[in-house]
This record gives sequence, structure tokens and C-alpha cells, in this order.
Amino acid sequence: MIQVRNIHYSYYQKFAALIDVSLGIANGEKFAVIGSNGSGKSTLLQILAGLLFPSGGDYLFHDVAVTESTLKEKKFLRFFRQKIGYVFQDSDIQLFCPTVIDELLFGPLQVGLDREEAMDRAIEILKMLKIENLKSRPTYMLSGGEKKRVALGSVLTMNPNVLLLDEPTNGLDPRTQVFLMELILALNEAGKTIVIATHDLSLVGELHSRVAVLSEEHRLEKVGTADEILYDEALLLKVNLIHEHIHYHNGKAHSHLHSHYLFHKH
Amino acid sequence: MKSNIPPFLLDSSSASSQMRGGGRVDMSYLEKGIKGFAALFTEGYAQWDLSSKKSFLHDLDARIKIVFWILMIAVISLKRAVQPEAAIFLFTFTLAALCRLNLIVFYKKVLVLGFVFGFLVAAPSALNAIVPGKVILPLLTLSRPHEFWIYHVPQIIGITEEGISIISLLTLRVLNSLSISFLILYTTAFADIIKALNVIRVPDTFLIIISMTYKYIFTFAHIVSDMHLAKKARLAGVTGREEARDWIAGRIAFVFKKTQIECDEVFKAMLSRGFSGEIKFYHYRKITGKDWSTGLCLIAAAIAFLIMK
Repeated sequence: MIQVRNIHYSYYQKFAALIDVSLGIANGEKFAVIGSNGSGKSTLLQILAGLLFPSGGDYLFHDVAVTESTLKEKKFLRFFRQKIGYVFQDSDIQLFCPTVIDELLFGPLQVGLDREEAMDRAIEILKMLKIENLKSRPTYMLSGGEKKRVALGSVLTMNPNVLLLDEPTNGLDPRTQVFLMELILALNEAGKTIVIATHDLSLVGELHSRVAVLSEEHRLEKVGTADEILYDEALLLKVNLIHEHIHYHNGKAHSHLHSHYLFHKH
Repeated sequence: MKSNIPPFLLDSSSASSQMRGGGRVDMSYLEKGIKGFAALFTEGYAQWDLSSKKSFLHDLDARIKIVFWILMIAVISLKRAVQPEAAIFLFTFTLAALCRLNLIVFYKKVLVLGFVFGFLVAAPSALNAIVPGKVILPLLTLSRPHEFWIYHVPQIIGITEEGISIISLLTLRVLNSLSISFLILYTTAFADIIKALNVIRVPDTFLIIISMTYKYIFTFAHIVSDMHLAKKARLAGVTGREEARDWIAGRIAFVFKKTQIECDEVFKAMLSRGFSGEIKFYHYRKITGKDWSTGLCLIAAAIAFLIMK
């Protein structure tokens, strides 16, 4: 469904963000893009969302090249935006309507749903996300976790087939993180394709997805199953996702590889 | 959790199945505006990139450059003949070339702004109907001269020798002021320019306000571009003008709110780092002998232009 072939992207034609990246994502798949800060994860997701366009290489969605030109075709634009939903890392920039309910209604009304159906969808999403009490609240008066739920809801009301989630659990309390993870898994079971960008290895473990690893040099290091990637200490060390950690046990200092997930072993 | 998923989310066929055609989407004025706004980053980056190169002017102490700049602006404004202005133009061209700036990009900017704010503004004074003088190129002959209020319209209207001289002088002044200003801007990091303004006794508080404003222009330009991307990601068609206006109004309110919050947070951050009402800037390295000698050469050149007839 998603094919990326040898794409390159650089900011200001100077700072490389992605170099020669190729990957494919199948319909209904769970897929994680991992890498350290600045490795190009968000850039890759924004390219998949048709918000940035690679300076080299091809991006195909359902075998149609996604370019600035094809996204100016009315039908393809509608098809593409309906099929792909993108949840930004910073919920603040994603929430631009006056209230929570306006936020949830925005997408369905854009794709041409009538007002009644759009409202039904919005109400169902409010219930699913357990935010019915926030319905009429201005978006700037929400907490971080609430904003994330509304941001996700604003995309879900469009019923996209593919959900691109940029660092979805960043800065959320543990309970909201668990809620969000369960929701993501349930959406995948319901047939949605999930693509997550993260540097949180525990999230990849829980998602048990296929994983693409981006290096600090902005290249694709490896694509494999969660187990293949998460147990590859050398690879994770190389891409700066685990590190040597010194701490004390019974008054004695010792060091080991540390990732807050699999490698905190003694 | 699975049982909570609304039925409409289980329906994958609802999306439009026809993928191509249907005409093309025109780029809205909103998109054009946002693209222009995003160009601020590129512009800011270009200034930073150019100012971090190596050349004799790049390496020169920013305080000396500021003094040289002020002196040159004064000289450019004082000269009343075309020849010294033309000499200054050539001098600036030589400096830009020596600094290995991209002359095409540099002069494209200078000439466009010089044409608008120099030539176009001064152009009417070429006509004898505006400034009396010896007509060298007649354009229009009337049946007789006209008197209107305090104005005298001569029988033959045309371009005068004096008018051409005034236009050339004014256009050259604008071009020279722009090229010397861009030259300083492209060879000095913005932060250094701000600190160097200290030499002309601009108060530190004012300087910190300018530098913070400059920084936040980029921060908010970034926020606006990102918000536009977020909207684009959920936009499956063309936005109407009214809707676009509503969105812009809403975003202005949001950015205003965000500015207020950011302002409070920055103030707290300043307090937590010891701010007590008086701003103390980190001041400069010492001016080296090389800086003094280059500076003296530049200032000597400026004085030579001042006394040039």
C-alpha cells in the first residue's frame, strides 16, 4: 500500500534529514520507525502524510506517486487525505478550532459528510476517548493528555485507513500512555494500518510491530520484526537508542547497557 | 477496548474509491501567504549561513563594522553629486566580491528594492512639470501653458537634464545605502550586530528586546507553518475564502494567546536565572590589531568619499 523508494530530503538544501530511504508498509500492518532525536523520523512521517515532498526518490500510495502535482488533483487529494490521518507530536499546533467538538467535526465536514453524520461520528469518538465532558471546552484549556486524545479524535472522525502517529506517548502520564496504546492496538485489530515514529523502545515492544531503524546519519539501518530489532544490541547501540549506564547496587558501582526496556539486565 | 470502537471506524470502504481526475486544486491566497511566511526561515537561514563564511569583512569585529556602516550611510546622504555616489557603488561592489558573496543574489535584492524605493519614487521629478529645467526629451506638447493653484504646467512637457541628475543621485543613494546595509548584514551574525549596537549607546534592555523579538519572529513563523501543515493534513478539498479568513483570525488569536503564555514563561525563566531588573550582556573579545588596521582602511575610504568632489 505504501512504497517509499530511495527518498532523500534535506532542510534548506543543506541539512540532510533522510538519505536514500526505501521501505514498504502493507495494509493493516503495525509499523514503527525508530531512531534517535534528529534522525529523520518526523520528516519521514510528514512525507508519508504528503506534507513534505522528497527532493529525490519516489513515494507511492496505492501505486500512485504522491507529489505536489498529484496532490493538486481534486479527487486524489480527497482520496489521500481521507485514507491517511496524521497525528502531530505537538498537539497544540494540531488543534486549531475553537472548541473540542468543532475540532472533531472539522475533518468529516471537509470530506463532504452531512452535518448529522459528522456529529454522530464526533459523539461516538468523544465516548470512545472518554472525553464527553470536554465537548464544549476551548482547546487551549485542556491538559497535555486531553489535547492528545482530542488530536487523535480529530483524525479518527475522518475514518482514515492509515494512522501516522508521531511520538504518540511523549510527555503523557502512564495511565494515558496505557489508554493510548490499548486504543492503538484496538484500532489495528479493527483494520487500521498503524505507523508510529518513536524512540521509545518499550512502545515498540508493546506494539510488536515491524520496525525500521533510522541512523543518526539519516539512513535506514535495518527493517525487521520487533524481536529482531529489540534484541540486536549492537544495532541499537550504533543508532544511539541504548547507552552504557553506571549506577549503584549495594554500595557498588557497575555499568551495563540501558534502554529502559530490554537491556536493563544485570 | 475493541468493543468501544465505533462501527464507522470498522468500515474501510467509506473513503472515495475514485482516485484520479476531478480537476485541479488552485493554491489559495492562504497557502501562498503561509509559503511566504515559511520563506522567513530560509531567509533567516541564508543570513546565518552567509554571515558564518570566512573573508576579511566576515572576520572583522562587528563594532568596527557598525561604525563603518553608520559613517558610510552619513557619507551617502551628504554627497550631492553623482560621481562620488557612483564611486561608492563600485567600492561596495568590490567589497561584496572580495567577501565572496553571491553577487547575482546580492544585487538582485539591492536592485529590486533600489528600483522601487529609489527610481520609482524619484521618477516624477524628471519631468519639467515637477522640477523646472532644460528639456532634453520632449514627451507632450500642449496648446498653451496652464496655471493651476500653485502649479505651473509648461506648454512642452518633457524630461529635463536636472531631473535626470536628481533621479540618478537619489537612485544611487538608495542603491548605495541598501548595498552597504546588506553587505554588513550578510557578513555579520545577527547576534553580533545586536551586541555591537552597544557602541552607539543603544541600551542593553532595548537590545535584548530586539534580539528576543527577532528570535520569536522565527519561533512563531515556525508555529504558523506547522499549524498550516496540521490543517492541510485534514483538508480534503479547497478552502473557501470566508473559511480561510476565519481560520486566519482564529490562528492570530491562538498565536496571541501563545505569545502571552510564552512571555510569562520566559519571564519566569529569566527570574530563575537571577534576573533582577537589570540586564547584563556578555561583552566582546578585545579588538585585535588586525581589526584596527582593517577598520582604519575602511574608515579612511569613507572619509575619502566624503571629501571627494
